[in-house]
Amino acid sequence: MGRIGLSVLIVAAGFLYLPLVVLAVFSFNDSALMAFPLSGFTLQWYRELAQNDNFLSGFVTSFLIAQPVGILAMLFGLMASLALTAPGFRWRGLFAILLLTPFLVPKSVLSIAQAMIMSRVGFERGATALILAQSLVALPFATALISAVMVRFDRRLIEAARDLGASPWQAFLRVLLPQIRPALSGAYSVGVILSLADLTIAMFLAGRTQPLSLMVASEFRRELRPDLNAMQVVVLALTALLVGLSEVYRRRRLRRLAAEA
Amino acid sequence: MTFRQSHLALPVAVAIMAGCIAPLAVLVAFSFYEVEDFDLIPAFSFRAWGDLATSTTDWFLIGKAVLSGVATTVFTALLGFPVALALTRLATSAKGLAIIVLLTPLYTGEIVRIYAWRIVLGGEGLVNTLLLGLGLIDEPLKFLLFSPFTIGLVLTYNNLPFMVLAIWVSAEMVDRRLIEAARDLGARPVDAFFRVIFPLTTPGLAAGSLTVFALSAGEMLTPSLLGGTSGATAMALVDNLFGTAFDWPLASALALALLATLFLVASAMAGLLLRLKGARAVIGRA
Repeated sequence: MGRIGLSVLIVAAGFLYLPLVVLAVFSFNDSALMAFPLSGFTLQWYRELAQNDNFLSGFVTSFLIAQPVGILAMLFGLMASLALTAPGFRWRGLFAILLLTPFLVPKSVLSIAQAMIMSRVGFERGATALILAQSLVALPFATALISAVMVRFDRRLIEAARDLGASPWQAFLRVLLPQIRPALSGAYSVGVILSLADLTIAMFLAGRTQPLSLMVASEFRRELRPDLNAMQVVVLALTALLVGLSEVYRRRRLRRLAAEA
Repeated sequence: MTFRQSHLALPVAVAIMAGCIAPLAVLVAFSFYEVEDFDLIPAFSFRAWGDLATSTTDWFLIGKAVLSGVATTVFTALLGFPVALALTRLATSAKGLAIIVLLTPLYTGEIVRIYAWRIVLGGEGLVNTLLLGLGLIDEPLKFLLFSPFTIGLVLTYNNLPFMVLAIWVSAEMVDRRLIEAARDLGARPVDAFFRVIFPLTTPGLAAGSLTVFALSAGEMLTPSLLGGTSGATAMALVDNLFGTAFDWPLASALALALLATLFLVASAMAGLLLRLKGARAVIGRA
């Protein structure tokens, strides 16, 4: 690779990571003001964070909301992908467009429309509403991940299993599922990550539920505080851990599949 | 009726209809309703649409949404092309790592990114301190934070990975021998790019543009938290009409007008890009 290509990549990575690095640096900086020059190393902000009950409960709320979002995105993404790749599915084009709508309609428009319909039919805004809306937004991503793997799957393996007497359910469990398990775990993490990253939907649908992103947003309008930095770094580290774990899992599955083949 | 795999589309379709299509349909209905004493009354009134048609502010804000979407698309495309092409040159083993490096910033929350940029661009932030330290400026640059510049920069930052990914996927499929042939026949690298690589990557560019436009044009958080006085958006106004002013008909009409405009611009953009010669060659071949 040429020197130009390498420098392009280094500059791009620098741009993408610059704000995150600055955020992390100030979370360890021994000053309440977020200004250069740096004043020294401290863990004070992390200690304050650990003692802040508000943030801790927001943390738990966000985490508890993200789990069902991941699971729902995975399950519905799996069903959608199975339908999309089914032989002789007449409505495939239309179904694909339908799947894209939650992605193409801006989140803000969608959430406000959902908030209106909910208040008209008397569905209270809160954790349930938030979970359903976030799963819907995660669905196109989850479907794309799973069906990308499924289109490469050799359907004749399923037919062979069926010919040998397996029920459709058995064929799915024993032939298809082992192949797409990494994609399923990817779809689950995408749901969790999108839920943790979301603020727009929460603004309209969270009701009295207070996920972390909403808390930070309301603090943000007032002032910048180093303990908020520390919290962002913790969220970031946890998300990175999640991504890392699912990547390790994916690679191990792939290796095992390769070894079996 | 026996079960078929394609029947699994049904629950998914029902979920999307209920969660996405129905709310949009209700938006259409509400736009014709009337408001009396803070109560929404079913009617067939064109009051909201009339208000919208004659409001210059509303159309200015819709135009602004289109402009910010198009500008973000152009910026990410200009920055994304060199990055995507450089990525195709990586060794296969490095590509997996590159994907992780590229996507990780996307995993950070919306508010985290906004928060971080505020620290980077502030009066005593990284950029100003650096420029002051180097003696390039005498006082902190004010336009870095709470200005149209900030909105453009952060929207570009938020969407760059999507554009890079789309172009990259497309560029990986370009047969390298075509580029070598062009070079052997005397094309300069610039010619090889514009006459071979660029036309063949237009499908990726179209996909990336559509994605970036859809994600950036309706964005209201970045402008409202980092745009300062220039941060007004159509969606913030819709939010205001919905919550504070309780004018749901006008809120619905404005949201629908915005949606329709964005849809038209996005289709025009995708249509234009796909009409390019190379796109037809790639799609025709597939």
